[in-house]
Amino acid sequence: MEGAAMNAVVPMTVPLNAFLAVGTILFVIGLAGVLLKRNALSMFLSIELMMNAVNLLFLAYARMRGDASGQMVVFFVIAVAAAEAAVGLAIFVALFRAKRTIDVDQIASLKW
Amino acid sequence: MSLELVVFAIASGLAIVSALAMVVVKTPVRSVISLVVTFFALAVLSILLAAPFIAAIQVIVYAGAILVLFLFVVMLLNLTKEAEATDRRPIQKLLGLVSVVALGGLLLGVTLRAGAPPVPAAGGLIPAKDEIPILGRLLFSDYLLAFEALSVLLLLAAVGALVLSKRRFD
Amino acid sequence: MNLPLWLIPALPLAGFLLNGSVALFAGWRRARKSTAAWREAHPEDHGHDGDAAAGHGHDDHGHDAHGPSGPFLPYGERLFYGVVGVLSVGLATVVALANAVPYALASTASEGGIGPVVQSVWKWMAAGHVSVEMAFRLDPLSAMMVSFVTFVGLLIHVFSVGYMQDEEGYGRYFAYLNLFMFAMLTLILADSLVVLFIGWEGVGLCSYLLIGYYYDKDFAHAAGKKAFVTNRIGDFGMVLGIFGILALFGTTDFSFVDLAKAGAMNGTASITVYAVCLLLFLGAVGKSAQVPLYVWLPDAMAGPTPVSALIHAATMVTAGVYLVARCSAVFVLAPDALTLVAWVGAGTAVFAATIGLAQNDIKKVLAYSTVSQLGYMFLACGVGAFGVGMFHVFTHAFFKACLFLGSGSVIMAMHHEQDMRAMGGLAPKVKRTYLTMMVATVAIAGIPPLAGFFSKDQILGAAFAGGHLVLFAIGLFTAGMTAFYMFRLARMTFYGEFRGTEEAEKHVHESPATMTVPLIVLAAGSILVGFLGVPEALGGSNRFVSFLAPSLATAHPHHLSHATEYVLMALSVAVAAAGILLAWRWYGQKGATPEVPSAAAQAFYEKSGALGRLVANKWYVDEGIEAAVLSPFRKIGTFLWRGFDSLVIDGIVNASAFLVELTGDLVRFFTTGNVRNYALSFSLGVLVLALYVFLR
Repeated sequence: MEGAAMNAVVPMTVPLNAFLAVGTILFVIGLAGVLLKRNALSMFLSIELMMNAVNLLFLAYARMRGDASGQMVVFFVIAVAAAEAAVGLAIFVALFRAKRTIDVDQIASLKW
Repeated sequence: MSLELVVFAIASGLAIVSALAMVVVKTPVRSVISLVVTFFALAVLSILLAAPFIAAIQVIVYAGAILVLFLFVVMLLNLTKEAEATDRRPIQKLLGLVSVVALGGLLLGVTLRAGAPPVPAAGGLIPAKDEIPILGRLLFSDYLLAFEALSVLLLLAAVGALVLSKRRFD
Repeated sequence: MNLPLWLIPALPLAGFLLNGSVALFAGWRRARKSTAAWREAHPEDHGHDGDAAAGHGHDDHGHDAHGPSGPFLPYGERLFYGVVGVLSVGLATVVALANAVPYALASTASEGGIGPVVQSVWKWMAAGHVSVEMAFRLDPLSAMMVSFVTFVGLLIHVFSVGYMQDEEGYGRYFAYLNLFMFAMLTLILADSLVVLFIGWEGVGLCSYLLIGYYYDKDFAHAAGKKAFVTNRIGDFGMVLGIFGILALFGTTDFSFVDLAKAGAMNGTASITVYAVCLLLFLGAVGKSAQVPLYVWLPDAMAGPTPVSALIHAATMVTAGVYLVARCSAVFVLAPDALTLVAWVGAGTAVFAATIGLAQNDIKKVLAYSTVSQLGYMFLACGVGAFGVGMFHVFTHAFFKACLFLGSGSVIMAMHHEQDMRAMGGLAPKVKRTYLTMMVATVAIAGIPPLAGFFSKDQILGAAFAGGHLVLFAIGLFTAGMTAFYMFRLARMTFYGEFRGTEEAEKHVHESPATMTVPLIVLAAGSILVGFLGVPEALGGSNRFVSFLAPSLATAHPHHLSHATEYVLMALSVAVAAAGILLAWRWYGQKGATPEVPSAAAQAFYEKSGALGRLVANKWYVDEGIEAAVLSPFRKIGTFLWRGFDSLVIDGIVNASAFLVELTGDLVRFFTTGNVRNYALSFSLGVLVLALYVFLR
């Protein structure tokens, strides 16, 4: 496959810092989503985004260090994210059934 | 300007824009779709980082499975636009933005100021072609315990999700 | 047969443990059963526990009549307690006499007596140069004490078998009584002041327990507390006195007596000796109910009557006299302290006797009589006649125990009526009680040849011989009063017409043999024991006093001519006879009513004015103590409670609690329950950490 040439072990023309910057930006956007959205589902989506941003950083560092362990971590993160999504979404469904809403501002029964 | 740079610019731009869209749009369905776009762009960036396998599962598992699950839930619950007009938490919003900007500025500043780290000339442990066998070997040697634990976790998550979304406990 | 001394206190202790544990177990079972039965009968009520057991009357001012319901406990259980209680003391008596009698015989046979027998059981404690042996001592003084304490104690145990038979706390009673015997015998046989102190506190504890025997009655446990607290004042002196002895002689075992006789002391400051004597005497004053600490003894009559006989007349209260006699060698080094002892004794004798004149409760008369007689004993010690004082302890134990037990028998006959105004004419109905009590009454009045005459006369003689004419006069006057109030008691109880209700008259009955036999034995003792100490003037050799002499010190060996002694004897008998005649005239008149048993006495009382009222109200001593001591103490206590404890201590506690609450109130606003707030806090925290990490 010729595409493999793109991964050729040649000096990268794109500086690694650029990847780190993109990852950081995505992470912060995700954080903003968590803090500003009121829909529990959107918050959850934002968390997924944050995880992917971190994944990108992992890949960048793995590339930088020439160590496949970074990729392994990403692999595990994706798997855990899948599990988390399954449970989280099930919780939302149950919550919605009980409260008829998943607006977090209206779900505050953990209060004093 | 090399092809890599072009691809990187397009992909990262797309990722950031669609991520912003994900946060900004009010309709959950659109949020999810925006995130799908972001994930595809991230998959492209993964390939640039010599991780085609990760790129593949990014597309297959994340974009394909998880986000479809999200979409499914959004439709199941029939979620429409958020009622932002009733938001009575200006301080929360302000502090949130401050914290986001501050943290983002801090992290970006630290990252960029550090300067470009040296990239190994030879690929080291990440070869060009035979990436998957190496990952496979790692998975079943160094990461075996974590891998097995993960399988249990997935099972538990499946059972947990089933129990949680059951209508009634008999 | 060689029986060790430690057996003497150990046997009653074993009896106490056995009776106590069985009584506890049986009581527990009974309570469980009656609760279950009560629950069954009252299934709808969950209020208080079934107290079918508690509805029981006792001799007191409430006078709950014992119905014909009969004994409270099953026969077998009563038999067990009685047998264990009597047997343990009986065996102790056997051991005591088996030790004391041969010793006494050997001692009197040899010139100047034989040395003390000291048996050490184990070394109790050792610290530096001070070591205390758990040791028992048999010498003339302890031999004398141990024989009459076990003997009288045994009789009173036997008497109790009959007297207490209707009581719910039969087992508890015998357990306490045995514990008392243990403590008393430890006190007597101890070879050191520290071991003596075990017994000293032990008898105090038992006294408290037995005074408060009817613990469901307010006055009984109040009296118990009064006795305990009053004794604490004395015990405070006692403990300091023991330390003083230790400081003076470097040891607390009774070898210090010999050291004191030899004058071998650490330091020669006579003030130290005075202080030690006064402190020990303070202990004796508390235990032996002398002025001003006598107030607990009359109240102690709240206990069962045999207890009054055993503890508050015959044995425990003589512990103070015993202590002074034991330490006599130290006391003679401080003549002024001895003078104080004499004056306190004489003052107590006359003071208590005056109060006894106007009491109407039969036990109260005897209580004040006891206080008064104890005063005599201290008077004897104070004038240096320790042997004579101990002789009075000895004779007094017999006739006073007989009087108390007799009064117990009368009270039982009257169905727990103690007021003499409701008695009268009992003589034909309770013949044996009457006769024995009359013997004891004559004995205490000092009519020859009964026991009281010999001891009392020698006390007066010693006071006279020592040149203490005022003390002698007081003693003589008190002797007259003693005769008067005792015959007043006899007259009001046994002669004249019955003043109670007809219903009560019908039920008057003589007591069972378990009660009359001890009375008869004690009455016989009241007649006979005096002959142990017949003075030389009457042809005797006063063997009793000379037997005790090796244990005691003699302060002023004075001798009177026989002629003087005859005069003194005649004088004391004449005074006693005068008292008897007066009592007989005043309280023997016909037409007496329960309220006014005698018109003449009433007339005298009215004429006597303020003095009469003072005496009738016991000189307002209790009221005075209340005003001078208790009320200020209560005020200080109230201040500390309201002012200090409630405001300051509780204030600090409440303030800290309030602070915590306030903090919680403030902090709880952060717990909004809103996920986004938590996320914000989280991210702010991350921001702070990141700033710390990167900008450090």
